[in-house]
Amino acid sequence: MATTAIYRYLAVDQDQYALDPEGYLVNMNEWSPEVAKALAEEEGITLTEEHWEILQVLRDFYARYEMAPAMRPLVKAVARTLGPEKGRSIHLMRLFPGSPAKVAARLAGLPKPTHCL
Amino acid sequence: MLLHVVNRSPATSRVYQQALAGMSPEDRLLLIEDGVQGALPQLVRYYAGLEGRLFALKEDLESRGLLGRCDASVQVVDVDGFVDLTEEAERTVSWY
Amino acid sequence: MQEHHDDSDLLVILRHAPHGSSWLREGLDAALVAAAFGRRVSLLFMGEGVTALLRGQQLGPLGQKGTAATLEMLEMYDIETLLVEEQGLSRLGLSSDELMLEVECLSPSALARVLSGHRLVLTF
Repeated sequence: MATTAIYRYLAVDQDQYALDPEGYLVNMNEWSPEVAKALAEEEGITLTEEHWEILQVLRDFYARYEMAPAMRPLVKAVARTLGPEKGRSIHLMRLFPGSPAKVAARLAGLPKPTHCL
Repeated sequence: MLLHVVNRSPATSRVYQQALAGMSPEDRLLLIEDGVQGALPQLVRYYAGLEGRLFALKEDLESRGLLGRCDASVQVVDVDGFVDLTEEAERTVSWY
Repeated sequence: MQEHHDDSDLLVILRHAPHGSSWLREGLDAALVAAAFGRRVSLLFMGEGVTALLRGQQLGPLGQKGTAATLEMLEMYDIETLLVEEQGLSRLGLSSDELMLEVECLSPSALARVLSGHRLVLTF
């Protein structure tokens, strides 16, 4: 669930971005590709074209459904937009290791997905 | 056979209609909490057609002073009876 | 009568309207969590819960989010069995072609069969 508690700040150039205790942007309107890059750096991820297209799928999902998806619906959304080759959990695991739905939502500037542990 | 449990009075709530809509011909209905009001002769008509399958919880009737006022068609069970009903049913569905 | 919803694991019954309380959202959350973990979920809209399916829902007067976007999201969670109590619709003067999603209307006897056919039933 989206939280408004500010836990720390992410510095990008001259600007500070409030993050919640789990590292999600407190104000999702502050998201920009630069913020995404800085968040990715924290995860040890260098964003490539393959990452960006997933982040776009996530942002579109949120714009339409007002929620960040759990893993299954994320896989489904990716498959629909980018094709079945990319709509597989192994592809997402490779790009966003650990917990792809959570990590990718964070980098896309979305709240934490509600329906996964 | 399912056991349906209703805890609202038919005098103030239409939850009883939902329970009835969800009941198969062999299912049972147990009235608990404020639902036991439905065991009164004036209100039991809402449960017409459930003869032999309509139960009310004794403890909840007692605490409300309704124990002696139940319609004869309602079977009064205590908590142990509630447990038996639960065991005899495949599952319990609560309507609240 | 089709039997396809009888083999789903979980039936979530939604009996409350959007905006009036949090019951509807909580029921949908339960359904989404179960679906996210791979359970097969069916939804049954009963009583005033049928109004969750009306077209043209908006934010609340204070900008509160409703549940319409969540309903549109159900297919992404593979929740595709949407059942509606026929009487719940007719009591409010509604018909299934006024609803935002494809649903299956249940007569009273079909509704009772659906309840018996699920291993787990949660009422909200």
